[in-house]
Amino acid sequence: MTITICIGSSCHLKGSRSVIGRMDTLLTTHNLKDRVTLNGSFCMDDCANGVCVTIDEDHFSVSPETVDAFFEKEVLGRLNA
Amino acid sequence: MKVSLDICRRQLNKFGEELCGDTVEVIYKEDSEIVILADGMGSGVKANILSTLTAKILGTMLKNGESVDECVETLVSTLPISKERQVAYSTFAILQVFHDGRAYLAEYDAPACLLIRDGQTVPLESSELEIAGRRIKEYIFKVLPGDTFVLMSDGVTHAGLGSVYPFGWGRTRVGEFAAVLSGNREMTGDRIAAEISGECDRLYSGCAGDDTTVVVSQVMARRDLSLFTGPPKSKEDDVRLMAAFMEMPGVHVVSGGTSATIASRYLGKPLRPSLFYDDPEIPPTAELEGIDLVTEGVLTLNRAVSLLKAYNQGDRSEAFYKQLDAGNGGARLAKLLIEGCTHLTLFVGQAMNEAHQAAGLSFDLSIRMQLVDRIARECREMKKTVAVNYY
Repeated sequence: MTITICIGSSCHLKGSRSVIGRMDTLLTTHNLKDRVTLNGSFCMDDCANGVCVTIDEDHFSVSPETVDAFFEKEVLGRLNA
Repeated sequence: MKVSLDICRRQLNKFGEELCGDTVEVIYKEDSEIVILADGMGSGVKANILSTLTAKILGTMLKNGESVDECVETLVSTLPISKERQVAYSTFAILQVFHDGRAYLAEYDAPACLLIRDGQTVPLESSELEIAGRRIKEYIFKVLPGDTFVLMSDGVTHAGLGSVYPFGWGRTRVGEFAAVLSGNREMTGDRIAAEISGECDRLYSGCAGDDTTVVVSQVMARRDLSLFTGPPKSKEDDVRLMAAFMEMPGVHVVSGGTSATIASRYLGKPLRPSLFYDDPEIPPTAELEGIDLVTEGVLTLNRAVSLLKAYNQGDRSEAFYKQLDAGNGGARLAKLLIEGCTHLTLFVGQAMNEAHQAAGLSFDLSIRMQLVDRIARECREMKKTVAVNYY
């Protein structure tokens, strides 16, 4: 699984750095680093809904406050499906 | 080969003096750069007036294409005569480097200029002429890219006089000191000037016994840097812009997410953003084959501008250089602009980022145009040749 997080100007200002940091921590604590790749992107053309995140082809809007819920639902949900 | 001269200076005032008795004048001509260093007799106001007059008269006359003979004759008949000493006196050195590589040096009673080439001081052959009763040393030679000239007032050669060195630091030792520094690739003219002046300050224990001036001039081969930032107003111009951008020689930088995407599409190579934050405030850079540096847009440019501005305001502190040497995109761009470029060409797209406008951000992202103007202005202040192309 590949998770891509936008680090463009707009998403940066909306907290992509802490989203990346938290995501990395969650992947480590769940021992998922070898199953999930974290990637950066410069812009996903949806700045109004940043922080933009994609899992494979699906788009999501994540904020530093919703990372944990997103991880629980979308990442773990898909991996365990 | 086309060359230009990068000129950097440092001064220490004689201890307790508010004015420096040494004056440096730099003239940028169509075909050459001229550096003048004048050291007025005595210190304080009188010395300052003498050296200022000397440097300004030389500068104005040389700029208008007059010969050194005429300049010196004018000087002799113009300088005010000191009541105390019954003489009008200011030493001077003139270094002129033409863009085609020819060089001319004239000295009157000043410590002889040092030329450092490949980490060694190189002796220069001079001839002596007498103009209006003054003996002037004249040198005519060719320069090579990387040549470093050190012009100094006698405050430099006398540093440490009677304490560390019986007769002062001395020209030979200054030359050895500068030669070692110039061997280090990281050492720009400005950093060498700072090191020499710092050493003088140490040798004088912080209380300079004389006005102390060092001017380090480095011969630079023309170095081009092209910066593409902002998507063009009309999408059809993407290819036209990229073609012109890639045709430029030298270093290529792309700043901005959409711009980077355009570049990646044009080059047919993948864009690989990194997730490593060198600085929490600046988004990471990206890799793109064929482009030397790919960064995010406005936040990065904003950081670069603040570094350029600090540099132009004379900040040369360790803290400043630490920031400039940092790995974030803003610092890397500023460092390339300050230290790695003589000619800057900007490729600026004027499209508004509608997504940014709609995102309702606290930071005004439409300031790209202002940032571009600021970069152009700061680089012109550093005497770089700047061209801006809008799309």
